[in-house]
Amino acid sequence: MRKLVLLTAVILLFGLVVFGAEKIKAGFVYVGPIGDYGWTHAHDLARRIVDDKFDWLETVYVESVPEGQEGAIIDRLIAQGCNVIFTTSFGFMDGPLEAAMRYPDVIFAHCSGFKRYKNMATYMADFYQVYYLNGLMAGALTKTGKIGYVAAHPIPELKRHINAFTIGVREVNPDAEVHVRWIYSWYDPAAAKEATEALIAEGCDVFAFTEDSPTVVQVAAENGLPSFAHYSPMLKFAPDHVVSGQLVHWEKIYEDFLVKVHEGIYTTENLAYVDYWWTLPQGAVELGADFGVPINPVWEDELKAKVIDHPVFGKVSIYDLVMIRHSQFGAPGITFDPFQGPVYDRKGVLRIPEGTWPSYETLVTMQWAVDGVVGPWPGEPEE
Amino acid sequence: MGWESWIVDTLRRALAYGTPLLWGTLGEIYAERAGVVNLGVEGMMILGALSAFAVAQSTGNPWIGVLAAAVVGGLAALIHAFFSVTLRANQYVSGLALTIFGLGLSGLLGTSWVGISLKNPLPKATIPGLSRIPILGDALFRDHSYLTYIGLFLAVVLWFVLYKTRWGISIRSVGESPSTADAMGINVFLVRYLCVIFGGVLAGVAGGFLSVEYRPSWTEGMTAGMGWIVIALTIFAAWDPLQAVGGVVLFGGLYHLAYRLQRWFPPEFLKLMPYAFAILVLAVAGLRKVRRGAPAALGLPYVRGQR
Repeated sequence: MRKLVLLTAVILLFGLVVFGAEKIKAGFVYVGPIGDYGWTHAHDLARRIVDDKFDWLETVYVESVPEGQEGAIIDRLIAQGCNVIFTTSFGFMDGPLEAAMRYPDVIFAHCSGFKRYKNMATYMADFYQVYYLNGLMAGALTKTGKIGYVAAHPIPELKRHINAFTIGVREVNPDAEVHVRWIYSWYDPAAAKEATEALIAEGCDVFAFTEDSPTVVQVAAENGLPSFAHYSPMLKFAPDHVVSGQLVHWEKIYEDFLVKVHEGIYTTENLAYVDYWWTLPQGAVELGADFGVPINPVWEDELKAKVIDHPVFGKVSIYDLVMIRHSQFGAPGITFDPFQGPVYDRKGVLRIPEGTWPSYETLVTMQWAVDGVVGPWPGEPEE
Repeated sequence: MGWESWIVDTLRRALAYGTPLLWGTLGEIYAERAGVVNLGVEGMMILGALSAFAVAQSTGNPWIGVLAAAVVGGLAALIHAFFSVTLRANQYVSGLALTIFGLGLSGLLGTSWVGISLKNPLPKATIPGLSRIPILGDALFRDHSYLTYIGLFLAVVLWFVLYKTRWGISIRSVGESPSTADAMGINVFLVRYLCVIFGGVLAGVAGGFLSVEYRPSWTEGMTAGMGWIVIALTIFAAWDPLQAVGGVVLFGGLYHLAYRLQRWFPPEFLKLMPYAFAILVLAVAGLRKVRRGAPAALGLPYVRGQR
């Protein structure tokens, strides 16, 4: 009897030690305010979802951390007992890397960067397929043949998205143009508004954008023009004018990552090659003006009525074309890529050869602009 | 598209984008004319933006929202007045603190208002008669916000008050030489308090304009630096309400053109253009020895009996 009690006690104690050690405290370092209704807002929604889901998980966050000051914040979070750290801005980059070297017992994951270490992974949920699908619809809806695009910073991520969008536009409307204006800020509602007004003055009648507020959607709607939402569900800001858009599900990545840490699959020794590049098939991004609304019903009839003669699918409505292409990005196997060769840039240089798809490297370092993009393109290669 | 449409578009956007800048600048001019620098404009604007949105959304009436923004802006300015006039703290530090406080507090209180579309934004209006003037009618008197027209009217009134009335003389003398004003029997503290609070009221309305008209929604930090442009425009306008209108239209027009011209000019250069131009004008004015001096006692706390 005494032996049994002792044995039970030992097992219980052992269990406590094991499971106690597996309790995860994750610290999130955000570059913006959680109330931006864009990038940081989306990361924080995801944090709350995983926090609610797992009782072995506790999360904390620090918002509006200026790039360059993340090091001290990471120190503080680890002092508070965090054993997993997420840093959510490309510009942090070296901060988490140095911290990963300083704290070999802590697991790091850096969003949208490319530097990794034995205890530091990278992750990104990318939109380029969704931008392409939105481009198909934008190309069908423009009457002036000019589509406006308000863009944040001229970096490869945006260039890839604008190119994919333009490829979609031109697939259904070979003469249409995508007019781009750069505002040099991730978040500047006034700049986004004035850039949109400038594009309207130049005759653009459909809008897409990369900026962390619903400004472009609102300005377009004020002028009675359709638009495509970015990052957060913006349907409610213009219920009659938002056609579709791109939505993110960071929780898919956070869940997968944290569960693997919890189960001991990811350790502080094996992350040097862990890089999440999750897109439509993994459910990390979604096509839609709102969750579960891929195309605003208000626009369905117009998209179904518009039929084009497609080189691959023959007579097909825009609505069906979007659905076909969408399914081609689905699990289990992707059967189409927007950048399927041959792709020439707007200076006539062959960038992706016939019969090939771009490599990951090509996608994340893209500097050129495809045909159909009109406007300045800082950093455009000479030839 | 002819040149007329370029002029109309540029002026239209200059006024629309310039409206919050105009309200803010007029307010700051009065505070500084009384000798008190208030670097808290950004903070007062953002608090105004949040209160206007929250109240407009709750009551369904955007005008009550603007009123709430005015009250909150005034209250925020009262804090600055207390520190800088009564406690004679460093005005720059107190103003900066107000900006940081405003941005932080609005972010904290605003979380539940993020991601909501305002039911009932502020309406626009066309002025009958004046809107028929060719080109200028379309640019200045058609489909602008009521706050745009009121702002322009206010500029004229404030200019008149400042230069043509006893009140204006009192305000200016308090800003130029508070001890002389005091000797003349003007209540320096009262004038300074009133001017700073008035500046806050106008800054609050400027913020309210952003969240119930210009972009009817609330997001954290949505003023995005406009308060600092206001500080610069105050100097640019040489502390004169009518010159403020010119400065705002010029700055707003260049801001709009920066996006129109991107097709032909490098965007990095255009983004800088409005700011570079402001510096250029200041430099030229300085070279021509035009008197653009600040109020002599600007930034200095007043202690009775000291000179």
